[in-house]
Amino acid sequence: MALQMIGFLVMFPLVVAALLLILRSDGIRSAIVWVSGIVVALASCAFVVMNIGAGEVLIEFSWEPLDHLCTAISCLIVVTILAFCVKYRNVWAALLAVVQLVAVIYFESAYGAEIDIPNGLYFDSLTLLMVFIIGVIGSGICIYAIGYMKDFQAHEPKGARDRRPTFFALMFLFLAAMFAIVFSNNMEWLFTGWEVTTVCSFLLIGYTKTPEAIRNAFRQIIMNLAGGIGFVVALYVSAISVGTLSFNEFISVGMTHPELTVIALIALAFAGITKAAQMPFQTWLLGAMVAPTPTSALLHSSTMVKAGVFLLIKLAPLFLVTPLASIMVMLVGAITFLLCSFMAISQTNAKRVLAYSTIANLGLITACAGVGTPEAVWAAGFLILFHAAAKSLLFLCVGTAEHHIGSRDIEAMDLLFDRMPRLARFMMLGIMCMFIAPFGMLIAKWAAIVSFVDMNQVALLIILAFGSAATFMFWAKWLGKLAGIAGQPEDVELTVHRSEWFAIMVMAVLVIVGCVLIPLISDFFIEPYVVSVYGFFGQDIATGNLWLASICVAVVVIVLFCGLGRSKARRVDVYLSGVSRDDSARSFQNALSGTTEATVRNWYMKEYFGEDRIAFVGVVFNSVLMAAVLACAIIGLPLGL
Amino acid sequence: MITIIITLIGSLLFALVAPVIGCLLAGIDRIISARMQGRVGPPLLQPYYDVRKLFGKENVSVNSVEHGYVVCAFIFACVAGGIFFTGGNLLFVIFVITLSSLFFIMAAYSTRSPYAEVGAARETVQVMSYEPMIILMAIGFFMAAGSFDTKAVFALDTPVISTIWLIFLGLLFVLTIKLRKSPFDLSMSHHAHQEIVRGMTTEMSGPTLGLVEIMHWCETVLFLGWVGLFFVWGQWFSVVIAIVVVLAVYFLEIWIDNNFARVKWQFMFKSAWAVALLAGGVNIAVLAFL
Amino acid sequence: MGYASRSPWVIHYDGSSCNGCDIEVLATLCPGFDGERFGVVNTGNPKHADIFLVTGSVNEQNIDVVRQIYDQMVEPKVVVACGICACSGGVFHDCYNVIGGVDQAIPVDVYAPGCAVRPETLIDAIVAGVKVLDEKEAALKEQKRAAKKER
Repeated sequence: MALQMIGFLVMFPLVVAALLLILRSDGIRSAIVWVSGIVVALASCAFVVMNIGAGEVLIEFSWEPLDHLCTAISCLIVVTILAFCVKYRNVWAALLAVVQLVAVIYFESAYGAEIDIPNGLYFDSLTLLMVFIIGVIGSGICIYAIGYMKDFQAHEPKGARDRRPTFFALMFLFLAAMFAIVFSNNMEWLFTGWEVTTVCSFLLIGYTKTPEAIRNAFRQIIMNLAGGIGFVVALYVSAISVGTLSFNEFISVGMTHPELTVIALIALAFAGITKAAQMPFQTWLLGAMVAPTPTSALLHSSTMVKAGVFLLIKLAPLFLVTPLASIMVMLVGAITFLLCSFMAISQTNAKRVLAYSTIANLGLITACAGVGTPEAVWAAGFLILFHAAAKSLLFLCVGTAEHHIGSRDIEAMDLLFDRMPRLARFMMLGIMCMFIAPFGMLIAKWAAIVSFVDMNQVALLIILAFGSAATFMFWAKWLGKLAGIAGQPEDVELTVHRSEWFAIMVMAVLVIVGCVLIPLISDFFIEPYVVSVYGFFGQDIATGNLWLASICVAVVVIVLFCGLGRSKARRVDVYLSGVSRDDSARSFQNALSGTTEATVRNWYMKEYFGEDRIAFVGVVFNSVLMAAVLACAIIGLPLGL
Repeated sequence: MITIIITLIGSLLFALVAPVIGCLLAGIDRIISARMQGRVGPPLLQPYYDVRKLFGKENVSVNSVEHGYVVCAFIFACVAGGIFFTGGNLLFVIFVITLSSLFFIMAAYSTRSPYAEVGAARETVQVMSYEPMIILMAIGFFMAAGSFDTKAVFALDTPVISTIWLIFLGLLFVLTIKLRKSPFDLSMSHHAHQEIVRGMTTEMSGPTLGLVEIMHWCETVLFLGWVGLFFVWGQWFSVVIAIVVVLAVYFLEIWIDNNFARVKWQFMFKSAWAVALLAGGVNIAVLAFL
Repeated sequence: MGYASRSPWVIHYDGSSCNGCDIEVLATLCPGFDGERFGVVNTGNPKHADIFLVTGSVNEQNIDVVRQIYDQMVEPKVVVACGICACSGGVFHDCYNVIGGVDQAIPVDVYAPGCAVRPETLIDAIVAGVKVLDEKEAALKEQKRAAKKER
C-alpha cells in the first residue's frame, strides 16, 4: 500500500505537469491546478495519517530501467542547461554542466550496474513531516499562483507571450522532484531528484527573461551545479569506499566507521550547503527574488532550500561522530545565521528581508544538524516545519500586498492594517511566528540553546544570543509599520482573488494549529524520528512548558483576530506639538502658517549592518573554512586521522 | 497539567502582589531621587495617587487598538512574573517578557504619532541592545544551576553568583536599560517627562497610561527577581540576603539614574553588546571549558 | 479629597510672555519650592497633563495653539492663567495684534496675577486649581454613572 501511495505522490504531479503543458486554456488550467493541488494535499495527509509515528520503514523496490531512466534524466537536465548556456553565452555554467555530464555517465557505466540496492525507497517520521510540508504547503502555493499569475500577466506589457502553462508545469514538476528526494533510499535516484529541483528553479527564476532574471538564474545554476558535483563526488566515494549506494546503509556504516565516509560526508554537506543557500552561496537565493512571488514562496518554504537542510538533517548522526565535517557545517550555519540576521536589518525591500531571514533560519537548522545531538535534531525538525508554514504565509501576503499597494517596500506598507485589515493580520501572524515566543520558531530555538549547552558549543551560544537580538529588531520594526492605524483610508482588499485567500488561509491555519499543537507534533513526528535514528530521546523542555506556550499562542491569536479594534474610547487626534491640520496625513501648521507633513521612517542602520560591510566577511570566512576542512580531510585521510 | 495550573495561579497572584511592591519601590525611588537632588520629594504613595488619578480620567484614544495592545503587554508581563516566581523556566520567562515588550512597541507604533514612533523605534533598539546579555544570563544560569528552572536554586549548595558573577555584572549593566533609567532611558523617560514628549507613551492617556505604569511596576519586580536569583541557595536565610542585595542594587540604579546624563543610542547599543560579549561570552566559555 | 488633587500634572505653555513668568513657573518646580511635594510634575504633553499653565497674552499667532493644547488635554482639566498678561493682556492689552487674556481663547479656572508671578502665588493658584479639578472629577464620575444607568 505504501509503495502505491509513494508512486502516486511522485507520479501524479508529473502527470499534472504534462497535462498543464498540453491544455493551455485559462479556465481549464485553473480547474486542473485547483483540483490536483487539493488531491496532492489530501493524498499527502492521508499518507501521513496512515503512517503516523512510524520508525524507519524500508521498502523493497528496485527496477533496473528506472536506474537508466534516472541517468537519462540527469543527462537531459545537463543538455537543457547547456542549451541555455549556448543561448546566453555563459561559459562557467557550461563548464560545470559538462563536468557533471561526464561524471554521471562514467559513474553509471562504471558502478551503476554493479551495485544493487534492493530497498530503493524508504520513509520515516522526518519524511512524513517533509511529505506534509511539500504536499500541503507546496500545493497551497500552486493554488495561490492561479490568482497571482492572473494579476501578474495583467501587469505584463501588452502582447507579451503568455508562458503561464510552463510556469505551472514547472511548479508541479518541482513537487514531484521533492517527493522523489524525500522517499529515495537509492542515492542515484535521490541525486536525480536533486538535479531536477535545481533545473526547475533555474527555469522559474529566469521566468521573466529580463536581463536581471537571466543573470540571477545563471548565478543559481552555477552554484547549484557546483553543489551537484559535490553530490557526484559523494556518490563515487560511497560506491568505492563503502560499496553501497543505499542512503540508509551509508549512514549506518558512517556511524560505526566514520573514517570511511568522511570525504563523502563533506561532499554531501557541501551539496546541502549550496542548496540551502548558506554563505558564501547566499546570493543565489537573494537573486531568486526577481521571480514571481509564488516561485519565491516555493523555493523558500517547502521545496529547494528545504531539500538542502533535509539532507543535512539526515546526515546529522554522522556529524556527531565526524568532528571535522561537524565543525564545517556548524560554523557555516552559525555564521550565516548571525550575519544574515544582521543584514536583514538594513533592508527596506520586504522580499529581501524575507530572503535574508530564510537564509538565517536555514543557517540555524544547518548549525543544529551540524551539532547532531538528538536534541539538536528535534530543534531542526521544528524549525523546518514552522519556517515552512510561516514563511510561505509571509510570501503569499507580501505578494498579494504588492499587487494591491503597488510596492514591496516595507515603508510603503504603512497603514496596511487599515487598508488591508485581514491581510495585515495574517502578515502579523506570520511575522510573530517567525521570531517571538511562544510561537514555534522560538520553541525550536530554545531546544537549540539546550543542545548547544550540552555540547559546550560556546561560539554557537554567543552567536545565537546576538543573532536572536538582531532578529527581534528587523521583525519588530516591520510589525510596527504594519500596526499603524489612522483615519479611514479606502479598503483595497476587496479585489484579492479567492485562490489567494484560500492559500493564505491554509497557511495561517497551519501556523496556528502547528503552534498550538507543538507538544503533539513533537510526540508524533519529531520524537519518533529522533528515536528511530538515535534509539533514545531525552530533552529538557518539559511538556508542561510546551502546553503553556500553546496557551499563550492561543491568547495572542484570539487577540489578533478577535480582540483588537473593539475599544469604545472617544477618538482624538495625535499630538504634533502645535496645531494639527489633518490627523491621518499627520500634517501640522508650521511656523509660517503653512502645512507641513510629519514623516517617519524605520531605522535601517546601514552604517552598522549594511550588506557591503557584512556580506564580504561571511563569504570570505565561510569559503576559507570550507576549503580548510576539505584540505584537512584530504590530507588527514591517508594519515589515518 | 499541574505546571499550567500553578503558573496560572502564580500569574494571578503576581498580578495582585507585584503592583503593590512595585508601587512602593517606585515611591521610594522618587523620594530618594528627590533627596539626592536636595528636595523633599512626594509622599511614599505618590505613584499610587498618580495611577488612581489616571484611571479617573476620561477614556480617550487615537485609535481602537492601542488599549488592546497595552492590555496584552500587561497580561504577558504578569505571566512572565508568574512563571518566574513559581519556579518555572527562566528562558521561557525571558521569551514571554520579550513578547510583552513587543506588544508595548506595537501599541506605540499603532498610533502613528511621530513621537510615539520614534519612541518605539528606540525601544526596538533597546531590546536589541539588552537581549544578548539577557539570553546569555539564562544560559549561564543553566550552566551554573544545571537547569533552566528557577526553583533549582533551592537545591544548590552555593549560590550561582559564585560561578557567574561576571554575568551578574553584565546583567547590572543592561538592568539600567530594562528599568528605563538614565543614561539609557531613550524610549521613555521618567524625568521631567519631556524627552520627545515621553516617547512611547506620547499618545497614551488616562487609563491606558495608568496600565502602562502598573505594568512597569510589575516589570521592576520581575527584573529585581532576576537579580535576587543569583543569591539564593539551599538555605532559608539566603532569601533574606537576596532581598538585601536586591534593595542595594535598586539603590545603585537610582544613584546611576540621578548621576548620568542620557547617552545616544549608538553608545548604548555598542556598549551593551560589548558588555554582553565580554561578560557573557567569557563567563560561559569559562564554565564550558574549565 | 479625590485623587486628581493629589497628583496634578502640569503642562506649561508660553503664549507671548517676556519669559519672566516662565522662569517663575519653572522655579516653582525646582528644588527651591519643590512642587513635587504636592505631586506636581511637569509634563511636555497635553495628553498627560491635568493643569494647563499659560503665561503671556493670547494673540493672532498663538490662539490656535492654545486652543489645540486645551482640546488635547483629557478631562478633567483646569486652566491657570499665570501672570497679569495671561490674566488680561497686561501692559500689552492695547497692542494691535493682542487679543487679550487667555480667557479670550479658552475657559480659565484660576487667575494668578503678578508681573512676574511669584512661585508662592503659583503654588496657591495650583492648590486652588486642584480644588476645581476635584469638582470636575466628581462631576465626570457622576456623568459616567448616569450614562451607565441609561444603558
